[in-house]
Amino acid sequence: MSQKEGNPHHDLADQAMSLEGRSGRIHAVEFTRKALLARRRYSLRLYIYLGFFLIFLIAVGVATSMMLTMDVVEKKLRFLEIANEYMLEIRQARRFEKNFFLHGTNLNDALENVYQAKQILNDNKEELGKIIGKDSQSIILFNFIRYEVLLKRLVDLEQTKRNNPDYPQRKKEVESELSRYGQEMVSLANHLMKKEKEALSEAILRSRHIHMYSLVFLLFFLVLNAYLLGSRILGTIGRFSVHAKRIGSGDFTPIPPGRRFRDEFTDLAIEINQMIRELESREAVLIQSHKMRAIGTLTAGVAHELNNPINNITITAHMLLEDYDHLSDEERKEMVRDVVNEAGRSKAIISDLLDFARESGTQLEPLDLPELLRETIHLASNQIRLSGINIELQSRGHLPRIHGDRQQLRQAFLNLILNAVDASSKGGKIQVLLVPADEPGYVAVKMVDFGSGIPEHTLDSIFDPFFTTKTSGKGTGLGLSVSQGIVAKHGGRILASSVQGKGSTFTVTLPVTTIPADIDSGDNLPGRPA
Amino acid sequence: MAGKLELLLLDDEPIVGKRLKPALAKIGCNVEVFEDPKQALDRIHQKTFDIVVTDIRMDEIDGLEILEHVLRKSPRTKVIMITGYAMMAVAREAMEKGAYDFISKPFTPDDLRKVIAMAAQALGSPIDSETADPEEPSEPAETR
Repeated sequence: MSQKEGNPHHDLADQAMSLEGRSGRIHAVEFTRKALLARRRYSLRLYIYLGFFLIFLIAVGVATSMMLTMDVVEKKLRFLEIANEYMLEIRQARRFEKNFFLHGTNLNDALENVYQAKQILNDNKEELGKIIGKDSQSIILFNFIRYEVLLKRLVDLEQTKRNNPDYPQRKKEVESELSRYGQEMVSLANHLMKKEKEALSEAILRSRHIHMYSLVFLLFFLVLNAYLLGSRILGTIGRFSVHAKRIGSGDFTPIPPGRRFRDEFTDLAIEINQMIRELESREAVLIQSHKMRAIGTLTAGVAHELNNPINNITITAHMLLEDYDHLSDEERKEMVRDVVNEAGRSKAIISDLLDFARESGTQLEPLDLPELLRETIHLASNQIRLSGINIELQSRGHLPRIHGDRQQLRQAFLNLILNAVDASSKGGKIQVLLVPADEPGYVAVKMVDFGSGIPEHTLDSIFDPFFTTKTSGKGTGLGLSVSQGIVAKHGGRILASSVQGKGSTFTVTLPVTTIPADIDSGDNLPGRPA
Repeated sequence: MAGKLELLLLDDEPIVGKRLKPALAKIGCNVEVFEDPKQALDRIHQKTFDIVVTDIRMDEIDGLEILEHVLRKSPRTKVIMITGYAMMAVAREAMEKGAYDFISKPFTPDDLRKVIAMAAQALGSPIDSETADPEEPSEPAETR
């Protein structure tokens, strides 16, 4: 059954086409080649290149986004550094300012720090502007300058305190204002740093997310790509192995297009189709040469059978010659009639063989299986009688016709019958049963012998070419292989079953005619009688 | 010439018996012709023949079986087997089983007469295999 599944898409019309001889096959191969090439090319190489290019693009994207986030983080860090320095300077300034008020120390140190801070602000003016915005920048600047101005005023006040009666009063004023602006300045810087720290940790988190998501996406893409590429390659290889099995079993239909595009596998399919053509022409030679061998076997039987009429002619002619003068006209006529009849009998004996031996091209026609089997049995009848074997043909009910090549099918059945004869011992029996097959749309021919049977371990290899159990020189081991090839070309198959010591059964299943009217309009029988 | 040789001829081809009966009668044989091996066997059991000529290959009972029956009934009977072409193995088997001689198809009446003459010689009642005595035909002959 499994063989059948291999080629569900081959309808019987295909099978028919496949049988129309070598020219038909060349045509079929050429037709299939065109169909194979008619599709858009989408090569595996392109697919692989494209896949890797996409992976590269994704990697570039990931790397770029990583670099960008790194840059952001770096900038934020740099800003924090600046802000920190600035903070340090103004804190230092404020410390000196406090010391001045508490202990009356020098203010120059505070001014020094203010200059440093101012230097920092000026050096990073543009960067700061970008990060905190012009408005915030000007507020900071305003606060800072205010502070600086107040500090300078305080220094001036200190220098002129001996001749200034309002000195304590003024100092108090400046002190409170200084403390206000100083506080403002510090809290603003603090706020700025806090905000910036938040932004930094946010940027770091974002960069981590980008890492994670891009890895997940890359993984997903790789899996998808591997799946698509894998299923494309493995699916096609699977399809090809089904075809290989089918071709191996003798079905030489070219590999048809199986996808919407073509690629390197298409080139392979075209090469295999060429190979099929070669194989088929070789098989035709094999079938022909094996037929010659079968004729050789039949000739022994025919030669033996011919002895009888020739003997009758010899005896009769000699007696006619010997007694010519003593015989009546009527007796002479009777003897001549005998000679004529026996000559006719000789002719009949060899005519079947000559008909079978005649080399003929493949010719498809509707065939009546019982008749074909009767002919085949008749062809082998001398051999059968010589071996002292009885053969009986049973045809159950009215079976639909099949479509095929008479000569080739006769050869296939003849091989099976001669095998059965070889397997049977003298006085044995061979049954040829013609029945509907288990599968609808098929008929089965069962060749049953009651010989020694086939050992189980060789049952699998009996259809292999050159496998033989006969002594060397007696069999070529090609009979069953050739028969199977012929039957497979007709869309059927041969199954063997055997019980050792009880005999063997070879079952040939063939599809019944479903070919439309162009070949034989009168013989389109319905699938099967009820 | 001694008494007539009693001869049984068995061949499932009717023409063989029909044509050989007069041919053998000419050399002094009393010929009984059979086409059916069963009837021939019945007759063999009834009567002792000097010579039995039988085809080896026949559908129901083959010549070897006839040979065995004949020799069991009468060991002195000479059995001559008619064989076909390419049946040397069977012919050899027949000889081993005690057949006197065999003759291959196709043969002429003279071929058979020579073998029968030798068998007659061996039986101690020689006959002339040449058809020298046209005055004793089994059938009325036209004389001119």
